[in-house]
Amino acid sequence: MALLERNEWYDIARDTNWTPTYVSQENLFPPTMSDPYQIPIDEWETFDEPYKVSFREYVRTQREKDGSAYSVKAALSRSRFYDQACEGWASVLKLHYGTVALTEYQACQFQARMVRFGPSPSMRNMATFGMLDEMRHAQLQLFFPHELVHRDRQYDWAHEAAHTNNWAVIGGRHAMDDIMMCRDAVTGSLMVSFAFETGLTNLQMIGLSTDAANMGDFTFSNLITSIQSDEARHAQLGTPTIEIMVRNGYKEDAQKILDIAFWRVWRLFSVSVGIPMDYYIPLEQRHMSFKEFMHEWVNRQYVRQVEDLGLAKPWYWQHFLDDIENHHHCQQGGIWSWRPTVWWNPPGAVGPKERQWLEKKYPGWNDSYGTYWDVITENLLADREEKTHPECVPIICNMCQIPISNRPGKAWKARPYQFEHEGRRYNFCTEPCRWIFTTDPNRYKDHETIVDRMYSGEIQPPDLDGVLKYMGIGVVSEGGRDGYNYQWIEGFRSAAAE
Amino acid sequence: MANDSNELKPLKTWSHLAGQRRRPSEYEIVSTNLLWSTDGDMPWALSPNIDMNKWYLKYRNQSPLKHEDWDAFRDPDELVYRTYNIKQDGQETYVDGLLDEHNRNEHDTGYGKDWLECLAKSYTPARYLIHTMQMGSAYLVQMVPASTIENCAMLQAADQLRWISRISYRTKELQKSFANLDFGGQERNRWEKDPSWQGFRKLMERTLVTYDWAEHFVALNLIAKPAIDEAFIRQLGKASRRNGDMLLALLNDAQMLDSERSRRWTKALVEFALNIEGNRTILEEWIKKWEPLGDSAIELYCDGLPDSPEASSEAKIAVKEWRQSIGL
Repeated sequence: MALLERNEWYDIARDTNWTPTYVSQENLFPPTMSDPYQIPIDEWETFDEPYKVSFREYVRTQREKDGSAYSVKAALSRSRFYDQACEGWASVLKLHYGTVALTEYQACQFQARMVRFGPSPSMRNMATFGMLDEMRHAQLQLFFPHELVHRDRQYDWAHEAAHTNNWAVIGGRHAMDDIMMCRDAVTGSLMVSFAFETGLTNLQMIGLSTDAANMGDFTFSNLITSIQSDEARHAQLGTPTIEIMVRNGYKEDAQKILDIAFWRVWRLFSVSVGIPMDYYIPLEQRHMSFKEFMHEWVNRQYVRQVEDLGLAKPWYWQHFLDDIENHHHCQQGGIWSWRPTVWWNPPGAVGPKERQWLEKKYPGWNDSYGTYWDVITENLLADREEKTHPECVPIICNMCQIPISNRPGKAWKARPYQFEHEGRRYNFCTEPCRWIFTTDPNRYKDHETIVDRMYSGEIQPPDLDGVLKYMGIGVVSEGGRDGYNYQWIEGFRSAAAE
Repeated sequence: MANDSNELKPLKTWSHLAGQRRRPSEYEIVSTNLLWSTDGDMPWALSPNIDMNKWYLKYRNQSPLKHEDWDAFRDPDELVYRTYNIKQDGQETYVDGLLDEHNRNEHDTGYGKDWLECLAKSYTPARYLIHTMQMGSAYLVQMVPASTIENCAMLQAADQLRWISRISYRTKELQKSFANLDFGGQERNRWEKDPSWQGFRKLMERTLVTYDWAEHFVALNLIAKPAIDEAFIRQLGKASRRNGDMLLALLNDAQMLDSERSRRWTKALVEFALNIEGNRTILEEWIKKWEPLGDSAIELYCDGLPDSPEASSEAKIAVKEWRQSIGL
């Protein structure tokens, strides 16, 4: 073949900036959509993506990847895996698809913002592939759960979740609208490509595909690995942007942007990944604890990457390390207790063996979280299931939209962090969530949490049925129940009998 | 728990497609009703007065072009991501073959001086023009009110990157063959200054700052793209055949296949919009407003093509006839 190599013509294809004269540069690239820092255009023209690909290579590679992903699915759809899969694993899938599929699709619009308003032609070209990648991820993660919807209506949430007002969805939308959908191209590329994709999701996928393989779900494992290979490419959009910002005197802005996004995504991540890893996946198949995963895969890499770029780890690092020990344990307790409000069947799964494992991985778990589950276990052993459903309404964080909670036990630390603004008192779960609000109160001040909506009259009738219906429960599918029908308490019963 | 689970019947497909009396296609399963920002009055879950909510309210929700159910739109090609890649991989293999074959035949050595000047003036600067369509299509992606429209715009944006890449590839080949002609160096200046490009540059700069999603669609897909199809793709293709440049003629024919797909969904979206009373007036007013810019761009560009005295009038008639053929 007498064809040119990509590197021979590539620079020409990303030399497409021009000077407009029929309209103003400012109107063509409005700062609120493009670059609010107004870094000179020749600086943006130094943008050099670490990973290069041509359209020709892209369609060939992606065709091959899809061929592989869809053929594995076809082969495995003939297997009986999903007939035999435990409800713990099914809950991982339902939670994953419900929170991820449409989020990937909205990400197409964000990538398109970089294609239209990115100040660098390289960014615009790379984001074009990023946009296509997100289309792929949305379509794959709709097509696969669609195959399962005839088994169980809870899989319908893969498509419907984002259209409901489920409390978990309100949290996800608030965070994604904040860091992705309502940001200019430059700020968003840091938040999405770097903090979100490089920092957390790229690694999440590595962990999740390992879990899936351990469970024997090779369809899902293969799917996630394939998606991760796209993310690893388009996530690299963030790095050159940070370099240009730092070089042009916007180091503090870059730091703040990353710190906001990392925390926002972390709060969701610890629920959507931490709980499955430490509770939903059966003990025999757990390959590492969430804490081990965070320390081995996320923390060290993230710190190294930000420091390589001349930035520092977030100011709240100590809070973050503390949160790794606590947040997902709190939310496992909360979600399980309010299980009728979610679209999956969260297993309690804290029998004697699991508690031993949790104590080993999280020393002190029995004296803290264990005391919460002691009460639940006692009630279940005494056939008082109804007492395992709380009657109180939690306080919701005005930033992450997740119930405010903290480590139970002797030193119960739960308290809201508060902030008064224009006569309204806002409650936050942690200092970083409060800090984010204070960086731009006008941005966040009008949003109402699910509990605010109960009191404001938006939810009618304002009783339990009304709230559940408002959240899509009993509308899209039935709500959750204990994933193992309380089998996990049997170990305590037999221990008591002995 | 007092939910209504007893009334929830088993599903064969997504609940939102369950009302159809047939099996949904893969296209429907993965493409329909995917936007969360069109569910409520406020697009995004932040304060109503932040810039991005105001932008979407003004330029999308309050667009004069109305439809009560944009989500009912369907791409006539029903393309999904994986079928797009299968088709374009095949098309790119064909284009690779063209380039390889012509390179082996030392095709470029046969160019005369006048034709080389035409390539430098009217062909290689087109990467700037096509990049503006990539940007404009991406604007539609983020602003259209339904995922089924968004998908069409996404693939249209990707098509543009495809042709920017191929034109850049050819620019490099020409640069290597004719080092004295500044291929790869002179295009920006031509795009910004040469009279033959100023009509298209004006049209595209104005299109890009037209932020109402529907007017942007009209300017891009009903005026600019068809004008570029007819002037740059078809008439330059014709001129290239007359000047013995069969490679460019075949490349432009291949590009036209992408444009024809774009025209199919554009036609479908216009027909879909015309079902609503009032929309015809809106679309016709916008066409009246934009058509002179499109015609002028065609004239300026075609007048610069060699051996093509009819090019301008043919191109202008062709775009008008196409718009008439889709009811406008």
